Amino acid sequence: MSTTKASRIGEEIWKTRIDKVNAELVTLTYGTIVAQLCQDYDSDYQQVNQQLDKMGYNIGMRLIEDFLAKSGVGRCANFRDTADMIAKVGFKIFLNVAPTVTNWASDNNQFSLIFDENPLADFVELPDDGRAQDELWFSNILCGVLRGALEMVQMQIEAHFVSDVLRGDDTTEMRVSLVRYIEDEMPPEEE
Amino acid sequence: MTVYSFYIFDRHAECIYKRRWLPRPTSIVGKSNQVPGAAPAGLGQTVKAGDDDAKLVFGTVFSLRNMVRKLGGEEDNFVSYNTSQYKLHYYETPTNIKFVMLTDLKSPSMRIALQQIYINLFVEYVVKNPLSPVEHPGGIGVNNELFEESLEQFVTRVLA
Amino acid sequence: MAAPPRHSSMMSTSNAGTLQSSTTDRQQAPQQLPTPQPTQGLRVPSNRKTIYDRHLNRSRNAESSRASFAYLFGEMVTYAQRRVTGIQDLEKRLNEQGYPLGLRLLDLLFYRSTSTSSSALSSSSTSSSPPNRPLRIITLLHLIHGPLWRLLFQRSADALEHSVSPDTPNEYMITDNDPLVNTYISVPREMNMLNCAAFVAGIIEGVCDGCGFEAKVSAHNQPTEMWPSRTVFLVRFGDSVMEREKVLERNGVK
Repeated sequence: MSTTKASRIGEEIWKTRIDKVNAELVTLTYGTIVAQLCQDYDSDYQQVNQQLDKMGYNIGMRLIEDFLAKSGVGRCANFRDTADMIAKVGFKIFLNVAPTVTNWASDNNQFSLIFDENPLADFVELPDDGRAQDELWFSNILCGVLRGALEMVQMQIEAHFVSDVLRGDDTTEMRVSLVRYIEDEMPPEEE
Repeated sequence: MTVYSFYIFDRHAECIYKRRWLPRPTSIVGKSNQVPGAAPAGLGQTVKAGDDDAKLVFGTVFSLRNMVRKLGGEEDNFVSYNTSQYKLHYYETPTNIKFVMLTDLKSPSMRIALQQIYINLFVEYVVKNPLSPVEHPGGIGVNNELFEESLEQFVTRVLA
Repeated sequence: MAAPPRHSSMMSTSNAGTLQSSTTDRQQAPQQLPTPQPTQGLRVPSNRKTIYDRHLNRSRNAESSRASFAYLFGEMVTYAQRRVTGIQDLEKRLNEQGYPLGLRLLDLLFYRSTSTSSSALSSSSTSSSPPNRPLRIITLLHLIHGPLWRLLFQRSADALEHSVSPDTPNEYMITDNDPLVNTYISVPREMNMLNCAAFVAGIIEGVCDGCGFEAKVSAHNQPTEMWPSRTVFLVRFGDSVMEREKVLERNGVK
């Protein structure tokens, strides 16, 4: 499947099959979640990152079912297709953005998503405490979402942000690597 | 047409939901009746997961699906099979969730119906329900009111 | 008389854009930076992709998916559930998470209602345009029932009522027949008192407080045959608000 075809599918589903809400409600709700975590973990940003990733993982495991139900797409032929499906269909129908897929590793098992727009981070400025810009990955929930969603379709991946405009970087970039394909589970042996 | 029973299996090969509407014809029930307590369940009764019945069904569809893929390629999938007594319908999502429905022989293909149960009932009322866990060991969370009621409606009104 | 913990929790939230940096410094300096270091300020991207370079109305009509909201809200509920002891506690926590959102939405509402009535940058508009902050209870409630609901849920709330009991003249009810936040929630029987719209109650409370109307807001299940998840938000204004209301009434302030 080509990137343009994936984009077309994403656009089509977004226009016709997705119930919408005001984007600001999503942005602000996510903001209160991060804020609550920063408070609960006493601004220990490593822990906040971890917790966000965990929440994302839980979301991803649910969201993939919704994704499949809405899109009706089947299994991807290879990891390159998977990347396009994530960027042009997944992000499109859940956040109405379509990050760019780029920086492929030579073995085709690693790529970057570059976010021109990141609705989770609209209205956001990180705390000016001398640490947040070095330690907090504000949108880290997205890494967990990918991890959870792909695990459900038998792909173990690793995802992390390498840059974020909220930290003063010029881009917001997430690195995604395929670790392995997961085998079907068998029922436990009778004793 | 008559729906006898319905099962959902998750990616860990566990039966996370099982429901019977009508007992299957006696010849079959009779044979499996060696197991004590396997008497036909009442109308609309939810039976706890982990029954032998469910294990058998899982074993069957799992083997069939693997055999079909071996012969027909990775993309191939089996849709249903008939015996002289009943018809088993099968739908599997890319997340390895398996939906199985047993009906009488008059029933048309239930593939779309199973897909609708997945899309409109399972995803909406189980997956999206924040009070139900992400995965459902022992069937927790699938047996919520919204899901059960809408499944009941779907089977008794839409399919009947 | 807003409770003090409320305010501290509001200030440490981080989605506030411009308000954020100064309040955080004030609050965290004693705990975490024993020797106050000169603020070096935040780094900004060289292509100036910061909140200051974007128009606040940029996302005004932007849409996202309802499912994404449901997932985030769901995680919020799940996360809160792990840290509470009972239903009341859970509702309290959800309420507290909504509260700061109410304060922010209020800013956004006011900003937008002024900038649409006059051209955004005309110099006179800031000082001379009539204040649109509600002074009377009923104006405030209309703001919540109408513009706030539309901003959040793209429709007005379904009803606005005043308590008929002479004992509770400070109680008002806002009804939503089918709250967005409860769309996917199937509450188990043993928790049938729970209403996750406590989050929305917190938003309302934030809006009231932000306008200077001290209030307690709670969400209650009031299902009907037709609207199984119908929810009534009970707004109880504090004594000070009721007293002021009487004074304003006498003076004919609208």
